[in-house]
Amino acid sequence: MMKNDSLFVEMECCQLTKDGQSACGDDFQWERLENENRNIAVLSDGLGSGIKANLLANMTTTMAMKFIRSNMDILQSAETIMDTLPVCEYRKISYATFTIFDMQIGGKTKVIEMGNPPFIHLRHNIEIVPQNQKKLVSERWPDREMTISELRMEVGDRLIACSDGVTQAGLGRREYKFGWQRRGELKFIQDLITREPNISAKDIAQAVAYEALSINKDHKCIDDISCMVIYLRNPRVLRILTGPPFRKENDREFAALALPESGANKVIICGGTTANIVERELRTRVEIDLKLVRFSKGLPPPGKIPGIGTVTEGILTLTRVATDLENDSWEDSPPAAKTIIEQMMDSDVIEFIVGTKVNEAHQDPNLPIDLEIRRNIIKRLQDVLKQKYRKHVTIKYY
Amino acid sequence: MEEQKIKIEICCGTACYMLGAAELLRLENIIPDQWKDAVDISAIPCLEACSSDNLGGAPFVKINGELMSNASVESVCEKIFEIMKTRGGH
Repeated sequence: MMKNDSLFVEMECCQLTKDGQSACGDDFQWERLENENRNIAVLSDGLGSGIKANLLANMTTTMAMKFIRSNMDILQSAETIMDTLPVCEYRKISYATFTIFDMQIGGKTKVIEMGNPPFIHLRHNIEIVPQNQKKLVSERWPDREMTISELRMEVGDRLIACSDGVTQAGLGRREYKFGWQRRGELKFIQDLITREPNISAKDIAQAVAYEALSINKDHKCIDDISCMVIYLRNPRVLRILTGPPFRKENDREFAALALPESGANKVIICGGTTANIVERELRTRVEIDLKLVRFSKGLPPPGKIPGIGTVTEGILTLTRVATDLENDSWEDSPPAAKTIIEQMMDSDVIEFIVGTKVNEAHQDPNLPIDLEIRRNIIKRLQDVLKQKYRKHVTIKYY
Repeated sequence: MEEQKIKIEICCGTACYMLGAAELLRLENIIPDQWKDAVDISAIPCLEACSSDNLGGAPFVKINGELMSNASVESVCEKIFEIMKTRGGH
């Protein structure tokens, strides 16, 4: 029996744009409906390439998401999408494919497909062939057949869908007479999972997209490439302790949350006083490598508590983390911010344990910049992690 | 018996870092080579001195357990020099 509330659905998509185009002609959208325990992901491939295709694909994903979310009849939804898409002036048709994953955790998962390569369902790295599948054809659009599959997802299952830029990769090369094809893609993914059984959805999506690119003649992106992966799994939890508790008598309970047996996979301690509390209560020592100072780029160097996790300065570092996440750029971030971001990206659930005691020294008018209040930064981080990076974020105040 | 090293602990807390500890953390690269074996420099997450009204201003450094406020590379070097002088060699 699945424990629904403790499962995490990782939804990722990697997209590569056709060479010479300024926009990808495929589009991906996802939504997590927390109240319904439901996750929806849509991938669409617009006719042609570039801006025009992007527009078709984007209109399709947006409409599909809206219709599916409101449980509208599938056939009617598809007809509305096809009626609405603008007609290409050269080809005199309007067209965009789609694959929709509508997953109810603990319940049924519906896969609705039109025009994309058939999806892949993997369990224990073996392909599960859909048992419950039907075809739907609109009277008004008889050449646009839809396939609707119903399946049950179990912990560890993966769903993979892609645009034809993946299955047709390699066309024109002797060894890929008919392209990479779905079976080539499937074998590649199974080999990946054999090597790394817990590989994330993000890593699979990226590996597939770049493998498709490398198969193409001269490694050129001859068509837009997209790979969307859903992975249902036990969440990887990152816990971030920051700020001293409002009441000193809670220090011990607060510090105990940094212990490995407290349920988190990884722990970061952000803040000097916070680190001191953990050191004192857990009788341990922070180690800071001064050699990192040379590379610290405006933030105090990160340290570690052996057996517990990373230690960094608090407000400045978290502010930098929030800014870098908002700008989607951390390649050149200072080590303290970079290590936090990388651990966030490798986790599904981020738990902030926030001590609310205010450090009066932070209000010193001599400080060269205004320091953000801790709670505000955590709110900023929560927003960006949820909206931009699909992380599940919880905040607990102490 | 070998003389104990001079222990220098630099506070890496937010206020200290902003008011000069960033520079102090480079102390190891700044001090003369002949002092390097005589000092032991480490970074501390926070000395928690800035929250007290009566201990002076950030940045704070502890030298052989003694707290120094408004620390700078110059004042820390002076202090090291002073300790070395009392020990009879520099």
